[in-house]
Amino acid sequence: MPEKAKEAAGEAQIKARWRAAGSKVWYFFNSLKLTLSILITLAIVSIFGTVVEQNLPIEDYLSNYGEKWTKAILYLRLNDMYHSYWFTALLAMLATNIIVCTFERFPPKWKSLLNHKSEKFDSKLIEKFTNHQTFSVAAAPDAVKERVVSAFKKKRYGIISSGGDGEWRLYAWKGRIGRLGSDMTHISLLLILLGAIVGSFAGYKDFRAIFVGGDVTVPNEGFKLKLDKFWIDYYDSGQIKQYNSLVTVIEGGKEVLQKQIWVNEPLYYKGIRFYQSSYGTAWNRVEEAQVALKLKNRDNPGDPVAVKWQELKAMPGSPYSVKLVSYSADFAYDEKTNTVFSKSAEANNPAVQLEIYNGEKLVSTPWLFLKYPGIFPAIPNSDVDMVFLDFRGTMYSGLSINKDPGTNIVWAGTIVMGFGFILAFFVYHRRVWIIVRNTGRSSEVKLGGTINKNNFVFEKELKEIVEAVSASKGE
Amino acid sequence: MILSLVFFTFSFAFYFITAVLYMGHWIFRKKWLGQTATAFAFVALMSTTMVLVARAGESGHAPFSNLYESMVLFIWATNAGYLLMEFKHKFKAIGAVVMTIELLSMLAASLLPYRFKSVEPLNPALQNKWHWMMDLLSPWGFEKYAIGWLDFHVFTTFIGYAGFAIAFGLSLIYLVKNRSEQKGGRSIMDAFPDAKTIDELSYRSIAWGFPFLAVGIVSGAVWANYAWGSYWSWDPKETWSLITWFIYAAYLHARVTRGWRGKRAAYLSIAGFLAVVFLYWGVSFVLPGLHAYA
Repeated sequence: MPEKAKEAAGEAQIKARWRAAGSKVWYFFNSLKLTLSILITLAIVSIFGTVVEQNLPIEDYLSNYGEKWTKAILYLRLNDMYHSYWFTALLAMLATNIIVCTFERFPPKWKSLLNHKSEKFDSKLIEKFTNHQTFSVAAAPDAVKERVVSAFKKKRYGIISSGGDGEWRLYAWKGRIGRLGSDMTHISLLLILLGAIVGSFAGYKDFRAIFVGGDVTVPNEGFKLKLDKFWIDYYDSGQIKQYNSLVTVIEGGKEVLQKQIWVNEPLYYKGIRFYQSSYGTAWNRVEEAQVALKLKNRDNPGDPVAVKWQELKAMPGSPYSVKLVSYSADFAYDEKTNTVFSKSAEANNPAVQLEIYNGEKLVSTPWLFLKYPGIFPAIPNSDVDMVFLDFRGTMYSGLSINKDPGTNIVWAGTIVMGFGFILAFFVYHRRVWIIVRNTGRSSEVKLGGTINKNNFVFEKELKEIVEAVSASKGE
Repeated sequence: MILSLVFFTFSFAFYFITAVLYMGHWIFRKKWLGQTATAFAFVALMSTTMVLVARAGESGHAPFSNLYESMVLFIWATNAGYLLMEFKHKFKAIGAVVMTIELLSMLAASLLPYRFKSVEPLNPALQNKWHWMMDLLSPWGFEKYAIGWLDFHVFTTFIGYAGFAIAFGLSLIYLVKNRSEQKGGRSIMDAFPDAKTIDELSYRSIAWGFPFLAVGIVSGAVWANYAWGSYWSWDPKETWSLITWFIYAAYLHARVTRGWRGKRAAYLSIAGFLAVVFLYWGVSFVLPGLHAYA
């Protein structure tokens, strides 16, 4: 029995210790000074990330900063600072700070806003306010009280009164909802952070180059995107005005949607956005090539023939027909794997591969080089050669494919923030306490009150109310 | 180019006269000097408006697309904001400081190298118009006058900057005034309202600047999401706008905390405006990024 009791006591002690630690943590986060420190720290550290260029290859840091500093940069994650653990930790602290402060301050505020009516108050209260006034009006207290009520109502105040027998106590209020502005703003910040977190876990960003006429399958979704056309608009001066792609969504084998996209005008389909992000000329295919026959004993080739990509074309004046099957913008040959590839996307050494047929029979599959005509014979053991004279490249359009389900949460957050700002900065909570007393032949009015911000407005309003009450003698 | 330049030159002269008149009013305390100063401030505002209008006519788009144009917008917004404040609160001496800021801004804008001034057609990323507005205007054939996120983003941001600029001027006044109040006796600072009022005015300016900067940042994010596919990419301009926003957020919270009002708040407001200056000019000249053009 005593053992058990001891155990229980120990447990209670541990619990108490946890509770004490918990309340210490809670107390730590329930502090405006912490808010100030975090905000100023965030402001200062954010500067580093703008001075040190972000997400460069490590070699660039080495050449810019030297080995020693690069080590420091990598250690502190300054190369990707805004996603580093410590920057995230600072943001998390700010979020915790906001949550704790809201929990601590909002419920009592809410209660006092609901039960705010206090027309029974100590008369000494009035003189404690910075904004207070005492003046007398030559009229009976009941009439003066009515005037006070109508003056405040005219200014859109709510007002209640109690008393009688020559003494009235009144309480007037306006703009209570403005008090909720700061809470709305704080919640909106949490929403924006939440949206960013959702986006970083559930979203992705991808890039695809699509050839004109080609298509891409969208990852993890049941639809494809086809590029019908790509073109560039120019100003009269020759400067680029806009990049445009005409794209079609193909779902289940059917074309469901066609849209022209350009920079600033993405396609949005089933939660995924497609952005015009770059363009270029393909390195592994062309629209058409100009090919000509050349007799081996002649210097000049014959008339060029336009050969389209993957289409069989007869070469007039010969038994041959040709098909354009491969292209390499910057021809290179890998001996190990026996394959042709392109060293770069630039047309430094353009080459096309043809399939040459004699009737039905495939006789040769030569590579022809634009810059080195005739270095390899196109058809072995023949008087006829072929040369590659010109080509029309295939344009591709570079599209960013982007899914970010967090974006809508962020936008919701910004809308809440907008309302929060309107309430916090432009709706002021005003409270005024008033006593109307009979002082023999006239009445004395005492009033005083507070506004949560913008004292200018309040001073002016009170002045106007006092004028209205004291001026309107004998209606 | 010519017409806007003419108006710009006139504006420069008007701001010079306005600043001198306000200073005269501050030092000699003559009522007529103050009234003339206000009249000239208004004339300068009209003239600045004409610079923007002429510029829009010359370039065929809203005049918010390079550093020079945005400087004119900044000057316009600061002047408009100041005149509203003067109209509401009738403290004229403050004009001496605000109009000096205006004059310096005019000087800075006029000294900009040519490539920041020239009228350029909009590059692909800057072409953004609201479809609903184009649809609304198209029955009259006015759809080319529709505005978009670019215009909204720049405009709201610069209202924010203007609020901060005025708050900066007021914070400077506060620090000097606070000192002279503590010393007591007569001083040249007597022309200004008392330190507490200055502090409150400074807060009011930031209370306008802060939400407008926020709207500017958010509209920039919305636009970036259309143009580049992400609403936030930690571009130096974006980051600096956030830094500025953090500093002013600290200012607003500092006012609620005891011991942080007055002097410390004034220092925060000054730090905030220095961040704005860097955000606006420093980032454009020193740090590379998406906003390199303005």
